Amino acid sequence: MRTPRDHLLASRGVPWIGGSLLLLLAVAALYLFTGAAASEPARTPPPGADDISFGPADASLSVVEYSDFQCPFCAQYAAMLKTLREKYGDQVKFVYRFYPLANHPWASITAKAAYAAFLQGKFWEMHDLLFENQKEWAESDDPRPYLDAYAQSLGLDLDKFHADADAQSTTDFIKRQAAEGKQGGVSHTPWLVVGDSVVLPRSLEEFDKLIQDAL
Amino acid sequence: MTRAESPAPRRWVPWLLAGAAYAGFVMSLYLTFVHYRGYVSPCYVVKGCEAVQTSKYSAILGVPLALLGTVFFALMFYLGIGLLTGSRVRVVQAYKVLAFVGALAIIPLFLLQAIVLKAFCTYCLASEAIMLVLWVASFLLVAPELRAAPDARAH
Repeated sequence: MRTPRDHLLASRGVPWIGGSLLLLLAVAALYLFTGAAASEPARTPPPGADDISFGPADASLSVVEYSDFQCPFCAQYAAMLKTLREKYGDQVKFVYRFYPLANHPWASITAKAAYAAFLQGKFWEMHDLLFENQKEWAESDDPRPYLDAYAQSLGLDLDKFHADADAQSTTDFIKRQAAEGKQGGVSHTPWLVVGDSVVLPRSLEEFDKLIQDAL
Repeated sequence: MTRAESPAPRRWVPWLLAGAAYAGFVMSLYLTFVHYRGYVSPCYVVKGCEAVQTSKYSAILGVPLALLGTVFFALMFYLGIGLLTGSRVRVVQAYKVLAFVGALAIIPLFLLQAIVLKAFCTYCLASEAIMLVLWVASFLLVAPELRAAPDARAH
């Protein structure tokens, strides 16, 4: 016996139009969803004296980033941030904080290398080298030869570089920043804080506008 | 086989197939948007999507796999509607062929994640699970013409 539902299904056009509307609804919803930039109040510590930073110490605006050198998306954001550092480096304080993820095997060793470079005044140079060449060391079985090569290209004292990278104080610094980040709700990298808001700009243009609006 | 002996139509099967295809469409479409908008997604603490999404295997000849998945699931969804509105032999056959193609595609997709990339993307695994469901459930499909065929021929 045919039910009213059977009649509806059998009526020409109705199921096809309904199905098409469902597909269009999904397209519209995802178009809006993927276009929205996230923003929420930050719970991580504000920039402090011991932070690794770029730009004026007394800048009215800060951009804090929790990042992982082996994270591919951090590498994409690093390129954006490099552009923004060059553009706003005299007005904005850019802060880098370590947040090595456990599922990235070379995240920790590269964080230590970057901190060791920081101790010789070459953090941002090492930061850029690590992100720009991420694919080569990230896919290797041992990233240390690459790290040594980057250190040498920056003119670092290699013995001090190794000693600093292996020092307990380096491990403690990285762990403290990661722990503070975790406590502040960091759940992914990059975790970006512009002023006192957590943001996730989807493009350089969007990131630039966020900074301009905050200045 | 007489009409009395023919298998009873499983009315829930087309609904399951259309619903599963819709879920697959939504997931693939999400990844397609992420790809084409050029947006970057974060690396989550426990997920490996970033390794899969950014790998060189995420596109074939410049066409993202997510887009191919979107087209595949949209086709399966419309075929599902075709089944709901009164399946014909051609619709059932087309469904079975496409479901089999989808099931075949699971093998390289899964092996790429497991062996080459050593990382699993939740969305990819979910899409592959849906493809598997579509293929398995397609065995339950029998066109009304085929069920009624012996009797129809007799008259």
